[in-house]
Amino acid sequence: MDPVWWEYIPYILQGAIWTFTLVGGGLALGFAIGVPVAMGQKYGPTWLKAVLDAYVWFFRGTPLVVLLFLFYWGVFPVLLGIKLDALTTSIIVLGLRSGAYQSQIFRGALNSVDEGQMLAARALGMTKWQAITNIILPQALRIAIPGWTNEYAIILKDSAICFTLGVIEILTRTRYVVISTGEALGPFLFAGILYIIFTYGGTKVFNIIYEKYHIPGLVGKGV
Amino acid sequence: MGRGSEMVGDEIVLRVENIHKRYKDQEVLKGVTFEVRRGETKVIAGPSGAGKSTLLRCINLLTKPDKGRVWLEGVELTDPETNINKMRQKIGFVFQEFNLFHHLTALENVMIGLTKVKKLPKDVARKKAEEALLTVHITEDLWHKYPAQLSGGQKQRVAIARALAMDPVIILYDEPTSALDPQLVGEVLRVMEELARKGVTGLVVTHEIGFALEVADEILFMYGGRILERGPPREVVFSPKHEVTRKFFENITKLYGGK
Amino acid sequence: MGFWEEFIPLVLHGAVNTLWVLVISIPASVALAIALGSARVYGNAPIKAIATAFVVTFRGFPLVVTLFLLFFGLADLGIYLTPYQTATLAFVLCGGSYMSEYVRGAIRSIDIGQSLAARALGMTKFQELIYIILPQAIRRALPGLSNEIIYQIKYSSLAFVVGYEEIFAVSKTFISRYFMPLQVFMVDAALYLAMTTAAAYGLRALEYKLRIPGLEMSIR
Repeated sequence: MDPVWWEYIPYILQGAIWTFTLVGGGLALGFAIGVPVAMGQKYGPTWLKAVLDAYVWFFRGTPLVVLLFLFYWGVFPVLLGIKLDALTTSIIVLGLRSGAYQSQIFRGALNSVDEGQMLAARALGMTKWQAITNIILPQALRIAIPGWTNEYAIILKDSAICFTLGVIEILTRTRYVVISTGEALGPFLFAGILYIIFTYGGTKVFNIIYEKYHIPGLVGKGV
Repeated sequence: MGRGSEMVGDEIVLRVENIHKRYKDQEVLKGVTFEVRRGETKVIAGPSGAGKSTLLRCINLLTKPDKGRVWLEGVELTDPETNINKMRQKIGFVFQEFNLFHHLTALENVMIGLTKVKKLPKDVARKKAEEALLTVHITEDLWHKYPAQLSGGQKQRVAIARALAMDPVIILYDEPTSALDPQLVGEVLRVMEELARKGVTGLVVTHEIGFALEVADEILFMYGGRILERGPPREVVFSPKHEVTRKFFENITKLYGGK
Repeated sequence: MGFWEEFIPLVLHGAVNTLWVLVISIPASVALAIALGSARVYGNAPIKAIATAFVVTFRGFPLVVTLFLLFFGLADLGIYLTPYQTATLAFVLCGGSYMSEYVRGAIRSIDIGQSLAARALGMTKFQELIYIILPQAIRRALPGLSNEIIYQIKYSSLAFVVGYEEIFAVSKTFISRYFMPLQVFMVDAALYLAMTTAAAYGLRALEYKLRIPGLEMSIR
């Protein structure tokens, strides 16, 4: 007799470690890319803006699964001649793509800091760089928090797509369970509910961060 | 005669010479020349579109003039060799829309220029900021409020303190009361008047004729990008040489109920 | 036959299959979104609760999980969907749930005066919704809906997990014959970029066309 699927729950749950490695890595890399990209798009020279726009357009317009396969089978081994494992490739691709999205979140936040803030900073004698780091960034980063909360929820669910490369995260493990027990409804429902729990739990954490850094009257318009 | 006049010396602190500025096909400033002496309060008046705000921004180069020169205490600001950020520290600027930094408390707003630009130690900056806030009658209970938690009048007074704390040679006021509810205008004008009496040099773009008559040493009346007329406040307001000047002050008196 | 001669017709065939799902799933998603969004604002308590649970579920499930559930999970219950049916239904459930949030937000942003005026004219709650609230709310929700439509175009590539022969599915099989992954997946990327870019322009034109002076379009 086949084993019943719920005996495998601990095995599926262990996949959360990989799921959160993907999510954490992707968000962090995306942040490291997204913030400078947004600043380049807003304050950079025209040629740089064009390059960054092209980057954002490509990674926002191409499906994640195509990007994963393109990089795993094409860009890294063929074009660059490096062999990267599925996990590393997945984190890099999630990060590159999230960077494109995060740059949009952050650009919106930068744009919603009104012009007067820069003027007043310059009038005090700050250099453009001092004004950006002391006045514009601290405001824009706060305004962007709700956008990042959203980005977390998106990347969490997208991390499931990394099963296509065989990263042993929640969904890959769930599929193994389905194959070995012959039951599909229970395991897949369980996985789905797990993602819902992680979405709401993570959102709670971001909301705590938001409350902690929230400043009265500082809200972005239309972010 | 303005009340600040007894403090006015002969030393010219600001010289503005032949400033021109054009935006696309419109010439906003067509050669403006004047000077401000230490301790003096000068009011710039004139209809909207006369170029008053542009002129103020050309002085600290927030807007670059196309032609003309500006000196502060003998240093030419318009010289590309001059470190403009260093010179801007000496020019206070008060905006119509306050432009307080949204993420900083009242006290932090006043401190940030001192710590980040003047590089003063925190405790020294804090003391100076507190003094400046008390000078503009922002009491301790408001020091830790964020801009969104202050009234318009309080915001503008904090903005004045932010400028004042830098020990500026001159403060430029760009219509400092235009964005305020009428009942809040008085508290800001009072602070500006007190500063003028203490001998803080000021250049004020305003429609407040009462303030000009009480406090200013001279009115510059701007029209069409030029200074059309200038002189002691009472002369310019009550017996102007030009018809447009007379019309302007007549209308403004009706509108603002000047004394 | 060479690589390109074989691949291009194949991938175009995949593209037709992709579009064949989307022409049904996009309008159906919008319709579902309007129903769910309206139910969550205008419905009575049980209807609100059901609609909310529905949205929480299908926004919370990753789309791949929904696809697997519909295809393999329902089979456990004796319900067998074809890959085409599975993909279309999954996109509608997921897309409709995401889009409904914009519809709900837009409905709630319509000022109370509109509702009062409609009722003063003697309209029923339903008439008020259909004739007064939704025509305004849908316009306001349009930028958000457009975003979700573009997402749906990209995520349609996931239909391959249930064996639907769309763009990505045919490409994935193709590289086992010709191992030219860079070319194959760049062609895929180009096709999706063409579709998403065209959709973005088309939807923006639609937003412009439906614009009403004074009715602010963008709420998020």
